[in-house]
Amino acid sequence: MNAPLSAQCRTTLASGRIATVIATRRPRSGRADIKCSAAGEPKLADRMQQVARLARHTEARIDSRDQVVISIDPAPNLDERDWELAVVLADRMVRGEWHAAGEVHANGWSGQWQLGRIDGHDTRTAGAILGGPGALTHLGGLAGHPDSGASVASARAWFPLHAGGIHDTLAWVDVSVYPLAVPGGDEEDHIAVLDAQLPVQLAVRQALLASRHFDGRALGRWRTVVRFGQPRFQGSSFELALVMADRIARGREFVPRGRIIASGASAAWHAGQVDAVEGCAPKCALIAREALVGDRILLPKAWETDLPDGFKEAIRALGASVACIERIGII
Amino acid sequence: MRGLFRRTPATPANPATDASALGTTALALRMHAGAVVPAGCVGVVFDKGGRTRRAAQGERLALLEHESAFCFHPGPYSIDIMPFASAPELGLHLAFAIDAPDPRVPQQRFDLFLASEAEAAVTLSAIGAAIESTLQRELAQGNLELAPCTSLDEWNAFRAGLNQLLYTRFGLTVDDCVPVDLGDTVDYAQMLLARVHEPVQATRPGQKMAPAPVDAALADRHALRRLFLELPGVTCALRLACLPPGQLQFGQRQALLQRLDQVALSVATMPALTLAAPGQSLPTAQVQARARHAISAAAALDEAWSMVARLADAAHVDDADRIVANLEHHCAGRRRSAPEGGDA
Repeated sequence: MNAPLSAQCRTTLASGRIATVIATRRPRSGRADIKCSAAGEPKLADRMQQVARLARHTEARIDSRDQVVISIDPAPNLDERDWELAVVLADRMVRGEWHAAGEVHANGWSGQWQLGRIDGHDTRTAGAILGGPGALTHLGGLAGHPDSGASVASARAWFPLHAGGIHDTLAWVDVSVYPLAVPGGDEEDHIAVLDAQLPVQLAVRQALLASRHFDGRALGRWRTVVRFGQPRFQGSSFELALVMADRIARGREFVPRGRIIASGASAAWHAGQVDAVEGCAPKCALIAREALVGDRILLPKAWETDLPDGFKEAIRALGASVACIERIGII
Repeated sequence: MRGLFRRTPATPANPATDASALGTTALALRMHAGAVVPAGCVGVVFDKGGRTRRAAQGERLALLEHESAFCFHPGPYSIDIMPFASAPELGLHLAFAIDAPDPRVPQQRFDLFLASEAEAAVTLSAIGAAIESTLQRELAQGNLELAPCTSLDEWNAFRAGLNQLLYTRFGLTVDDCVPVDLGDTVDYAQMLLARVHEPVQATRPGQKMAPAPVDAALADRHALRRLFLELPGVTCALRLACLPPGQLQFGQRQALLQRLDQVALSVATMPALTLAAPGQSLPTAQVQARARHAISAAAALDEAWSMVARLADAAHVDDADRIVANLEHHCAGRRRSAPEGGDA
């Protein structure tokens, strides 16, 4: 396990000030599993401990060796709850349960932490992780996993956006599926793409339609909403990420431990085929920079010979895995 | 030889077991004394200490005092399991059997499984659920990898890990395992629709909440029985495992074995669930806390078995340390007669 000894997460208070949540780890030696402190507010500390304990119920790995000490400074008012997500994330980061790329700023509150759900947020800060509808609705969503208790299945996959040098980023595509009350009808009518340009909308519809045709059991069952993290981009290399997110949301694909990062397009999604796209070298460099523990990286088969030296080894050393595929589907 | 020639008529208190389910819907059934092991089956007789012996088909089961007996059919069996709770339409079709006894080990793992975990019967659906939850936990912890678009090499690695896991944990031998489309039997869209109308808590699969108010005494008894019988098995497997040579490894393994022995001793001398001291009963809340610790300790025991299954390929010193620490923590919690200390 590669967990840090301390982790920090920022959160915005109702007063507009930025508070810092710091979590540290030390040997347990018979003490409580979580100890919290907030300047002069024992009630707030109790609430912090309760939140962190409840959120741990959704974790697969139990470790009783460490005590995690969580503090928040400056202390929020007793009636505020927007700091809860920051406490939960700091508690996960310090134990290596979640790895963040860079600084984390989070706001969100929940009445059902034991299910990993997040109900809402009060303040908005640019670049922050926000909880609640329209943003992060449950903790598994940090890795793009569907919530296995909600009535809407939604999954997220990431794809590298190559914009020439320093503006390269990982962008995400999010697919939510709702069951149709009356099955059947024209599949394209049931696919909505939010905030995207017309060519992207068309490409999304065609890719989903063809890949669901390949799937065999997907047509006429779902109402689909597709969202992109970044509305403006060009190219079709997002298609593989879109198709994988769709398959995971519909419960017909193995679920990776971390995120899916995929780049690839296809001229024949109805046959499940994956074709090469442009920009192998810069995209691989970006992926190698951004990949985290447990991520699954999917690239076209045609790239296998062009991969930079040591790319696969570097990814494996991170704890992620990479596969060059020529078809989607199980094995 | 006492009791060998005693007749045991099939009275209502001692009914003749219906063995027709064996080999189809049940792997094993409890047998009463004097019953004959059915054709094609194997009898397993065990005493309170978990020592087992086998009886061949057609043999009459002569039981001594404090002994009980099971019959199992070696199979083959096949089930569909769901490796991910959030992918209900995708399953694995598993064909397994209980193999011929391995002559190199003093006790077959399946015999130990029967002695420590079986109740009246081991049904196919019950063992399917146990296999499913074991596999889901291993996948969630990253001990087995089954990623989207699995390549053939990755699939073979997964298969090897799964075979070893099921043999080490349950004593089952996997014949075949292939991914299947469960779309014929499972409709994810209908499951989602049902969740709209139901309270969410009731339908969440794979959820690890504090257990619903089950019978604390019964759950505690099962958990302690498992710990008492299986901890020596785990310790023995760890002692015999071939780890890479080296002084550091030796020291770490020795420390782990000593701690496991301490835990086994603690389990063997565990106080009664409801008593704080002789003649002095505990408050109900503390009884519940003790039972919860016992259940958690049994969960840590499950993880210890899967760690033993992974010992061959690499040494997981940190993971072993974590699992033994969890066992120690929960066994100490099971002994405690006052609520856990505050925020020290």
